[in-house]
Amino acid sequence: MSIITRSPFLFRINTGSCNGCDVELATTAMIPRYDVERLGCRYTGSPKHADILLVTGPITARSKPYLIEVLDELPRPFVVVAIGTCPTSCGIFRDSYSIEGPLDKYVEVDVNVPGCPPRPQAIIDGVAKALEIWKRKIRDFK
Amino acid sequence: MSGFLKIAIRNLLKGPTTDPYPFGDTFIPQKLRGKLKVDASECTACRTCEEVCPSGAIKITKNEGAYVHTTWYNTCCFCGNCEFFCPTGAIKLTTDFHTAHFQDEKYSFVTVAVIKETECKNCKTKFVPPSEALLKRAYNGIDIDLDELKLYCPECRKKIAFERLHLWLRH
Ligand code: SF4
Ligand code: SF4
Ligand code: SF4
Repeated sequence: MSIITRSPFLFRINTGSCNGCDVELATTAMIPRYDVERLGCRYTGSPKHADILLVTGPITARSKPYLIEVLDELPRPFVVVAIGTCPTSCGIFRDSYSIEGPLDKYVEVDVNVPGCPPRPQAIIDGVAKALEIWKRKIRDFK
Repeated sequence: MSGFLKIAIRNLLKGPTTDPYPFGDTFIPQKLRGKLKVDASECTACRTCEEVCPSGAIKITKNEGAYVHTTWYNTCCFCGNCEFFCPTGAIKLTTDFHTAHFQDEKYSFVTVAVIKETECKNCKTKFVPPSEALLKRAYNGIDIDLDELKLYCPECRKKIAFERLHLWLRH
């Protein structure tokens, strides 16, 4: 069976973000001004369809099981993008007792987009980089 | 006319509202707090920025003959505290928002400034030269050659200032 290499699906998960990054991410998804789907990807509501995983938040103790669940459900190969300073290094929440991040403890991250929150354009940059990696991964997977 | 038709016609006349980025230019607000820039010639390695940084993004280390000022963007929250508290204006946030990078650059995505020490003209001890901005503030309204003063370490500078005062009092 051949793998379709066009229109990868994006799936996003919030792992305890303050909502700042989610607002910027929603901006890239829903406001025509920063339409990220122009790059040839689409948002999906199910991790089972996802090719690119976008993660916001520092991975709080409460949200960790959900992240693990999503990681288990992703079809291989997949690309992981850390959106914001939180998933990249836990940012200002580093050393808190309730924080279990950063993200690269649990999964191989491909792209980081630090910023608190990052600008929509920076997120688009990150998705563009993720698409590059995804194409490479698909090629190597076949 | 219904709202939808109005928008449809407006879009037909005005063209797409989408920001052309990443295929074209984008709008950048003047006050955007992006990546920062450190002017090594203004920085005195006073560590104020390291102290006030809420996320511990700045580290200043001492090497042989120089201080190394490193800012790690992966933990910086772009609050601007460092710029606000820097006494010499050496650190400034720019409008550069390009922060996306691949994972293998995670720990090298930094800004580095090297602040070199110089030798005191008088006693030969090593010290970080004070910046012009700092001296102007310290010797505000005093008739003194700042470029000459820069060559002396704080101890010798103190002595020179005191001697000046002494001479002035004797007159
Ligand atoms: S990076 Fe900043 S804006 Fe984004 S979730 Fe963390 S604290 Fe909020
Ligand atoms: S902008 Fe804020 S978080 Fe970033 S280096 Fe300066 S003080 Fe630290
Ligand atoms: S950048 Fe400013 S606050 Fe930071 S060490 Fe240099 S002079 Fe001090």
